[in-house]
Order: sequence, then structure tokens, then C-alpha cells
Amino acid sequence: MPEIIRTRDCTVHFKGDAYPVSVSSIMLQNGWGGCQGVQWADSPTDEFVVTYSDGLYGGFLLWGSNEPADAWTALSGNQLKYGFAILCAGGWLTSTSNYEKYTWESRQVGPLVPNNYVVGKRLTWSLRGLLTCQNEWFLSGDPRGSNTYYVAYVIQKPRPSNNWNLVVQTAI
Amino acid sequence: MFFKGDSYTVAVSDDMARGGWPGGQGVQWVKANSDIRMVTYSQGLYGGMLVWGSDESGDDYAAMTRSQPHYKYATILLGGSLISTSTYERYTYASRIGGGPLVPLDYQPNDLLYFSLRGYWTKENEADIIHTLFAPAFFTGFVAQLPKPSNRFFLGIQTSM
Repeated sequence: MPEIIRTRDCTVHFKGDAYPVSVSSIMLQNGWGGCQGVQWADSPTDEFVVTYSDGLYGGFLLWGSNEPADAWTALSGNQLKYGFAILCAGGWLTSTSNYEKYTWESRQVGPLVPNNYVVGKRLTWSLRGLLTCQNEWFLSGDPRGSNTYYVAYVIQKPRPSNNWNLVVQTAI
Repeated sequence: MFFKGDSYTVAVSDDMARGGWPGGQGVQWVKANSDIRMVTYSQGLYGGMLVWGSDESGDDYAAMTRSQPHYKYATILLGGSLISTSTYERYTYASRIGGGPLVPLDYQPNDLLYFSLRGYWTKENEADIIHTLFAPAFFTGFVAQLPKPSNRFFLGIQTSM
């Protein structure tokens, strides 16, 4: 039985750096989960804007845009309404339910094959900005080659006792 | 500065005290004769960056006027910060030293940044270009916002030191 109540996409056990940033219009249209990886984007205005990571960082967004835990609270929809989010960087210890659960290859054609997370292994952002143990740039033939933008280490692999959360130490 | 990382005071070298420096100047450690921690202009290595310039117009007629070069100290910033700075290389290294027409550097979001051979922020790994002994230099940040009229052509940087 889990001893830590994990009701959010991203549960924080130790906090690193955090500050508000603007989010791109495509993120405002489509929303995001907590622990979404983001990278910097250009903007015509004098704002610091992030968008979905495709392997680069930035950092990750602390709260999702539509998390059930925020329903009927003051946080409901306010990130989308005002176009901001909290960017997290530096060293964090977090649990997250928002990570790549299946291999990149199996997500393309199926059947789905679970990713095998190993304690101590380094993680990058996937091509859609979720934590993954695979090198999706290399697997997808991305012209950037091999992704060496490591953002975290596995502290605890997903299992029933942690509600199938991936527990990571970030280093951004 | 929009988000502050780690900072503390350090001594600056005689060269820096004489020559001055702008805010955002990259610095590296240098040997001192006494038990102080001393920095000098970065040549691609770090340290960190100095928050305030030695002679910034924003300090005119304030208590800070010339206090840093007078007492030979400065505040070093490192770790993860979010900053805007005018202290970055506008032109490619080759065009700056080659005597030819200056070629602007084309910064893009998420570009890796290094300290240039004079300690300014740049996307070129100048230590690698001239094959210094310590090349390639470590990256020290990422481009978070491009220079443009609305930010007075400052470069937005997420530091990573």
C-alpha cells in the first residue's frame, strides 16, 4: 500500500528552482500534464516563453493545465487563462505519473512494450517532452543524432507501492 | 535578473580592477597570493559571471559607484539563473579577429552558450575554434530569449553552471 499520497501528476519530495514563465499558444490550445518537459521558444514580445520539449530543456512544468486535484479550487484553469506556468529547473526529487510508459518503437506500431526503468539510469525528455530512458533522437533518426541532454536519474522504478509513479532526481 | 541562482563575493584580479568589466562578465578562478578566492576574466573556463559591472551607468551617483574596483571585490553568480544581459558576443569570432566585415551571430532559442575568449556569452565554442589546451569549453547556459527591439536587444539566458 502506498505510504505517500500521490494525487498530482508531479509530487514534490524536494524542491529545486522554480519561477513563472509564459507558455506557447500551442500549449495553451492542447494543455499539458504535470512534469511536462519544456524548452525555450521565441516570442515577439519581451517574455520568456516555453513550449513542449522535443528533447531539449528548459526544465519541466510543475502543475498540469487540467489536473483533477485542482478541480473546484482557485487553480482551476488559471494557467491556461493567463498563459503562464511554473518552470522547474535545478535539482528536484519528484514522483511523477507523467512519463513514457512504453518504448518509442512500440508506440509507433504496437503492441505496446513497457519501458524498463532501472535505478540510477539517466533520463532525457522524449520527443514529446516526457521523461524516458530511451534515446528517442537516435531511435527516430533525428538529424541531431544522440540526445545527451540528460535531465534526471531514476531513484525508484514504477511499482504498485508508489502508485506506478516514476521517482526521479532531476539535474537541470 | 529574473531568477537568482547562487551568489557570493569574490576578490577580483588586478587586471580586472584596472580594466573594469561589464555586468554579465564571465570569470574564472585565478591563483592568489593570500587566502582569498580570486577571479579574473574568463577565457572560456568558468567560475561564474559577475552580476554588476564595475562602472555601470545605473550606479552613477549611488553608493556603489566604483566601489567594486576600489575594494577589488565583486559578486559572482552561478548555478541556475534566468537573466537578460547586453554582455554577449554580437559577431562571430572569425569575423571579429579577421579584419573582415563583421558577421552577426544568429542566436536561436535553446542554443548552448559558452564564455568567449574574453568572457562574454556566445554560442561559439571559441576555445575549440583556436584549440586551447582545455578545449572544448563547458557550456554555461542556454538561450531563453532572443535579442530584439522589445527587450532592447538583450540576450535572455538560463544559466547552467
